[in-house]
Amino acid sequence: MSKNLRILNNKFIDQTSRISFKFDGKTLYGFKGDTLASALLANNIHLVGRSFKYHRPRGIMTCGSEEPNAIVQVGKDHSMTEPNARATEIELYEGLEASSQNCWPSVNFDIGAINNFFSPLIPAAFYYKTFMWPASFWEKYEYFIRKSAGLGKSPTEPDKDIYDHRYLHCDVLVVGGGISGIIAAKMAAQNNFNTILIDDKNNLGGTTIFQQNECFKINNSFSNEWLKKEIESLNSIKNLTIKTRTTLAAYHNYNYLLARENLTDHLNLNEKKDKIRQRLWKIRAKKVIISTGAIERPLIFNNNDRPGIMLSSSIKKYIDYFGVKCGQKISLFTNNDSTYETAISLSNSGVNVNSVIDIRDKSNSSIVKNAEKLGIKIHWKHTVINTNGYKKINSIEIMKLSDDGNGVIGKKFKEECDCLGISGGWTPRVHLFTQSGGKLKFRDEDNVFLPDKSELNQVSIGSCNGDFELNEIIKNSVSSINKFLKVNNNSYENLEIISSKEVDKKNIWLLPSDKPLGKTKPFLDFQNDSTAKDVKLALAEGFKSIEHVKRYTTTGMGTDQGKLSNMHALGIIAEIAGVKMGELGTTTFRPPYTPLTFGTIVGRNVGEFFDITRKTPIHDWHVDNKAEFENVGQWKRAWYYPKKNENMHDAVQRESKAARDSAGILDASTLGKIDIQGSDASEFLNRVYTNAWSKLEIGKCRYGLMLNEDGMVYDDGVTTRLGENHYLMTTTTGGAANVLSKLEDYLQTEWPELDVYLTSVTDQYATVSICGPNSKKILSKVIPDLNLSDEEFPHMSYKNGLINNIKCRVMRISFTGEHSYEINIQSSYGKSVWEKCFEAGKEFNITPYGTETMHLLRAEKGFIIAGQDTDGTMTPVDLQMNWIISKKKYDFIGKRSLYRSDTIREDRKQLVGLLTDNPNEVLEEGAQIVAETNKKPVEMLGHVTSSYYSPNLKKSIALAVVKNGKNLKGQKMFVPMKNKIINVTITDTVFLDKENKRLNAKL
Amino acid sequence: MFLINCPYCGERDQSEFSAGGEAHIVRPKQPTELSDDQWAEFLFMRKNIKGVQFERWNHAHGCRKWFNMIRDTSNDKIHAVYKMGEKPPTK
Amino acid sequence: MLNYNSPIKDSKNYSEIKISEVETTAKINLRGKNRDFITKVGKELSIIPPTDPNTSSGNDSLNILWLSPDEWLIYSNNKIDQKNINDLEDRLYNSISKVKIGSVSNVTDHWVMINLKGAKVYELLSAGCPFNFNKFKNLKGAVTQTLINHTDVIIHNKNNNDLNIFVRRSFSNHLWSWMNDSAKFI
Repeated sequence: MSKNLRILNNKFIDQTSRISFKFDGKTLYGFKGDTLASALLANNIHLVGRSFKYHRPRGIMTCGSEEPNAIVQVGKDHSMTEPNARATEIELYEGLEASSQNCWPSVNFDIGAINNFFSPLIPAAFYYKTFMWPASFWEKYEYFIRKSAGLGKSPTEPDKDIYDHRYLHCDVLVVGGGISGIIAAKMAAQNNFNTILIDDKNNLGGTTIFQQNECFKINNSFSNEWLKKEIESLNSIKNLTIKTRTTLAAYHNYNYLLARENLTDHLNLNEKKDKIRQRLWKIRAKKVIISTGAIERPLIFNNNDRPGIMLSSSIKKYIDYFGVKCGQKISLFTNNDSTYETAISLSNSGVNVNSVIDIRDKSNSSIVKNAEKLGIKIHWKHTVINTNGYKKINSIEIMKLSDDGNGVIGKKFKEECDCLGISGGWTPRVHLFTQSGGKLKFRDEDNVFLPDKSELNQVSIGSCNGDFELNEIIKNSVSSINKFLKVNNNSYENLEIISSKEVDKKNIWLLPSDKPLGKTKPFLDFQNDSTAKDVKLALAEGFKSIEHVKRYTTTGMGTDQGKLSNMHALGIIAEIAGVKMGELGTTTFRPPYTPLTFGTIVGRNVGEFFDITRKTPIHDWHVDNKAEFENVGQWKRAWYYPKKNENMHDAVQRESKAARDSAGILDASTLGKIDIQGSDASEFLNRVYTNAWSKLEIGKCRYGLMLNEDGMVYDDGVTTRLGENHYLMTTTTGGAANVLSKLEDYLQTEWPELDVYLTSVTDQYATVSICGPNSKKILSKVIPDLNLSDEEFPHMSYKNGLINNIKCRVMRISFTGEHSYEINIQSSYGKSVWEKCFEAGKEFNITPYGTETMHLLRAEKGFIIAGQDTDGTMTPVDLQMNWIISKKKYDFIGKRSLYRSDTIREDRKQLVGLLTDNPNEVLEEGAQIVAETNKKPVEMLGHVTSSYYSPNLKKSIALAVVKNGKNLKGQKMFVPMKNKIINVTITDTVFLDKENKRLNAKL
Repeated sequence: MFLINCPYCGERDQSEFSAGGEAHIVRPKQPTELSDDQWAEFLFMRKNIKGVQFERWNHAHGCRKWFNMIRDTSNDKIHAVYKMGEKPPTK
Repeated sequence: MLNYNSPIKDSKNYSEIKISEVETTAKINLRGKNRDFITKVGKELSIIPPTDPNTSSGNDSLNILWLSPDEWLIYSNNKIDQKNINDLEDRLYNSISKVKIGSVSNVTDHWVMINLKGAKVYELLSAGCPFNFNKFKNLKGAVTQTLINHTDVIIHNKNNNDLNIFVRRSFSNHLWSWMNDSAKFI
């Protein structure tokens, strides 16, 4: 480390605690409290990256989140690296490894820099223009462009760090812990508002905390000393929570804000383990106070992007806060007073200030006078016309400005320097205000956009509200807060504040040079390499909207989102277009304010918590018996139960055969169940199902189809009449929540006169379904007291039963076409009943089957699955289920739509069966069906909705929807696949046991 | 993320609610007597206003009650909420 | 004998948080609109169902939670055997549903009750719950239905830092894992 770049500063940097880190493979040292940027500068490293397009050397330019250049790759491990981190925000820790990005092979020798010499050939939108045509060439260009462009590398493996989320509700949220934020937080909390103060830095105090200057005093103390006491006083205040290292990322409507808290990024490598790295706070605040400060503007002049050219206020922070000299011979270039604070700080720290080049004619403020007293040389009404030095600035060229400011006059002269501080005035950070929907107004006097109207309960104070001078900041903040919180705090009223007042202002968006614009490189957007010339070109080419110019030139589209560049782009556009800046408007500031890692956004919703999983009461049995699982909505359902060496096909064939030959057992607990009670329950079912319900006897079950008002099938299921006014409805597994919500909707909004109550009981019952010719024998073993005779207990009826004194309901219903029973018992006994049935069925080779076999068995019978064979465009008529539409009922949901001109068309797609000519050929679900293969374009007549190989029929079967299908029975069709055409014949939808012999067999 | 004042439960986060489209479209009492056009008017035609719009919302993860909301779609400002069957506030 | 199987069967201790499943408390869902209904419930249980939103009423054995203007959840404070649950259900069913003044559904196994106790319970909830507990935490007996990590729940403020959370059985294992995961980071 070059010792002479550090001065003694014990306030913020612990110079007794040395930290080693690596940058571009080289081991360097810094101190606790440093940022990566301050530590690099202390090591005399300015050059940290290359620009995006021309690969020009770029150096650290700022000390905060607005940094456009010093974006680095963090982490040594390629799989876990993090790109695009700002060196100015990375707190130094033991073991930190970072490297330059966007350069190859190295930051010092970058092959892409050749673009710099071709730059006249790479104007705005060069990539758009050049590589757009011919389109097929893009594939060839892309590889090279991606390699030489792009910002950093993505990690290749899942993020191992842990992130989480927290909700937070408060009365007042104060964003920004500078002087105005601290005053605001204190006032709010003292007035019993539950208050949160957040700041993105590790210390509160903003820029005032290191402001030790005779020109800025409060009650006869330096402003930093006064503020330090204020901060200390916060500790004793109740109701106040302070969160440092917390950046506000987004400000949404209804005062909903997202903030990212950094919990371990500043810790040494060995201290990070097993801790939450970053936490996303989801904050709902009754009131929001924005005190986010302002960003210093650069100046736009020829070659203003060399390493060593920095924002003047940043040079001040590096010397006053970090104790780091950014150079040994520093020149300053300004259009306002604030640079003189830097000049004085440097001078007080023993750093040689060459001169201040000020474009103004003069300034009579106290700070300028103080600088002059210190012997600092000032070139009034001069401008920098060029800079020299490739990897680091070594000199600047200066000329006198013409009276109108459009040109330069006189003789140019050179000044040697190793650092140039630039200051173009201040831009209030109105990002959050505009994110929240607030409208801006323009202040002509100093060319700033300021918060104007907002619908939300919020206020902006301090320099983000356009107050830049100490006395105004305090005075106006206090009165704003009093008004905003409706309190009357006068503890700040009698402060004696000394503050230098700036009266002379001058602004030139694009500073003139002795060369024409075409020959210069005045950079606007440092990260995206767009120059003032590019913006002019865009305007010349006819772009008028600021949003279009932004996208065409990519100005403001980097990871810094144009925090430094936007104002100048607007200024230049306004000038050329001859409109007022206030009328031009701004581009939109979108969240996040600074980039968030994906890890922070998803929090703990990874791995096991990526999505909710629902389990049936019998789930553990399926796991123990090696079931494969299928996701059905959020449910984990047993899919099939492979035995040793069985694949899915083998298992499903075995299960399907067993279910028809002897006995199968299925966990049907996932079906939605709705308990319906009330004196109008029957009338209600009449209105929601297509068929009639009034005459259903108590103890009987009925299948129902539910439509949408548009006549399309929505859901289906069996409903059982438990009592005079009491039904149990079942829905599909995936449709349960939606059906309940839809039925509640009708009851609450359309038919409030009906006396009907719905209660979801889906999770109350486990459902064990036993099917097959031996199902009756098995059930009689499980519930010996139950009379299972066909007379007493026919198909589509139910009985109450007791299994070991536990109540259950048994429905004789069938989704397979086999004789079958469903036992519904309260969930806590579900697994035990399942095991009991399994035990009782052992002598009949009872076979557990999963959803795949269930689907196969019902397809053999031509039973539909709502959502698989229907897709929201199928009416019951399309499904050839006319029998289920009551002719007698005056109305039901969707009835009127069944005879709209569109729904009565004969050539709608209708559900049919398909048999392949080759019985061993199984169709793919989703495959298209055509009548002719030669005609082009081929007319798609429909598609396959369900397809299986049936072990019971020993052939392939499929269900499909086909245009005019119900009139095409027996017709040959084709299913064209990638490498073959499959011949099929349209058939009836029922493939097995059309006469229902199995269902009605005497067992 | 809105903060919605459920007329039954009070202020809750938007994530507890689901939106249900335009409000005050009454299901015809005698659908069978409507022409195709009249039925289509009820079934399909929605206003989708930029500005103040009357909407149905459901406190799906709370009391499960449906209610009406007057919302400005241009800035998401909620002007009022009121129960089903109630007349919209006049102001 | 059938074996009784609750989904979680566990209890965990973390610093200032205890999470446990409470088995076999009776739970019954009630719905009704008119005054007869309220009177009848009051007569049968000696507790009047609360009509103020987000509140509950109760005695030593039972609680009635407000769920909506026409819906309530009854649950017992203590373990209760199967027969007594059935008796309670039958009694209410016969005096309410049978006479057409409302509905009575046994939801004992539909909901799983998880008890959260300790000084940091609200910190745990804040990891996944958008609800504002600032007032709720000081209102003994307060009830809310909301989401915890995208899962529907009913939360009953039983006592200071002592909450009963009702979650549907099929979601309970997932919520349990999530709570235990979150508790690690409190």
